[in-house]
Amino acid sequence: MENSTDEYRFQSFDPDTQMLLKTALKDPSSVDLEKVSNIIVDQSLKDQVFSKEAGRICYTIVQAEAKQSDGNVFRRNLLNRLQREFKDREDMRARSIHEWVCYVTFICNIFDYLKVNNMPMVALVHPVYDCMMRLAQPDALKNEEEVDCLVLQLHRIGEQLEKANSQRMDQLFFLLRDGFLLQEGLTSMTRLLLLEILEFRAGGWMLSSTANKYYYSEISD
Amino acid sequence: MSTRTPDRRTDATSSRREHTRSSGPSRWSHCRKRGVDGSMRTDEHERTDEHERTEGRHSSFTTPESSGPVSRCAASSDWGSQVEDNEMRRDLHRDLQRYRRRILAADGPHRERKASSGSSGSCDSKEEESLETDEGVLLRRQKQISYGKNTLAYDRYIREVPKHLRQPGIHPKTPNKFRKYSRRSWDQQIKLWRVKLHAWDPPTDNGTQEDNEEQLDLGDIMDIELDFPTLAEPGPQAAHAGVMEDPEGTGTPVKVQRMDAAAASDVV
Repeated sequence: MENSTDEYRFQSFDPDTQMLLKTALKDPSSVDLEKVSNIIVDQSLKDQVFSKEAGRICYTIVQAEAKQSDGNVFRRNLLNRLQREFKDREDMRARSIHEWVCYVTFICNIFDYLKVNNMPMVALVHPVYDCMMRLAQPDALKNEEEVDCLVLQLHRIGEQLEKANSQRMDQLFFLLRDGFLLQEGLTSMTRLLLLEILEFRAGGWMLSSTANKYYYSEISD
Repeated sequence: MSTRTPDRRTDATSSRREHTRSSGPSRWSHCRKRGVDGSMRTDEHERTDEHERTEGRHSSFTTPESSGPVSRCAASSDWGSQVEDNEMRRDLHRDLQRYRRRILAADGPHRERKASSGSSGSCDSKEEESLETDEGVLLRRQKQISYGKNTLAYDRYIREVPKHLRQPGIHPKTPNKFRKYSRRSWDQQIKLWRVKLHAWDPPTDNGTQEDNEEQLDLGDIMDIELDFPTLAEPGPQAAHAGVMEDPEGTGTPVKVQRMDAAAASDVV
């Protein structure tokens, strides 16, 4: 399928933890999977680069555990930990925008990678939408960090999300249009990001070639 | 490696046990045919109790009633269980389709013969009618089967005896969850199946099968606990459901309660 275990970015961990994670990928029933899931979540909440990768790692462990012992321990622990963090997301956001953004990145990554029978996990659809809606609130739109997160995730999983529940996607985009049109004090970067995502969705989750040229081409002069 | 079975079973069963214990002894009182004062409970009682029970049921309660998927979804609020249940439901639907196709394929030749003889009924429609399709029932049955398959004994059994070498009667056969059976009949089949599987339990250190008898009791206890919430099932099963597999289970507690009540009044 994708890359070998060597390509997972484990350098941010100490050697013992690296060993633990590598073992989890190959021989999951020999390790404490609850501990492993906590390690992965903790790191994802700190390191946004890792939180983009973590979905793939989790997917591998879930598959490995299912194959080895028909077990679901890792997935269950992961999801329930995610749920606990989700319940406290408002506090998390108040504490640290960075952590909140990492959390959203992570949960969207999990939504993207951890499929069940090739379909996204239904249990995560509403929570992910809740996170997106939160990012589309006026106070969040003021932070470029949050807007950036919002549009990035919509690029990656917007189409899947819409398929899972189009009503909520409509609601989300009402908010985004309002923000773009009515909210004062938005930076031009923010407005650019919002306009692009509006066009992106309008184009069926892809940009027309002219729009692509506008947003992503180098200026020739 | 002989410790693996208890670990795996404990994983599945301990969460169940935890939850059955957490609700206290009164949990089972509305499964009895008679109330504390000895009078027969009416349908009304059962219905409200059933409702209360579904509301209070813990998210990981593993033998769901046929009260339908709705209440179960409301109860299992943790994402882990939701995803697992969803997965199981999808697997069940897929299995059901496969099974249907298998039946139709098997009955192909018969159908032609019947048509030529002019009879109206066909084998496959009869088989179809007797298919169990209630999702709640199928889920419960699948969970019971999964418990049995999640044992070392089962692992050893399937490795030792390949399917084509299995002899009916001697070798345990997984009950067919898609066939129509009464609740009692099904639970009995599961019990017998698990008992038979015990023959493949790994030997203990001292070489005897003593631990397996212990496990046998555990299995029976688990199965009896499965029996309890059968009270409000519709149709002929309701008559069976009221009677426990172990009749002493119904009688004794009531008597004890009565005696306790009497004793209590004496103490006062």
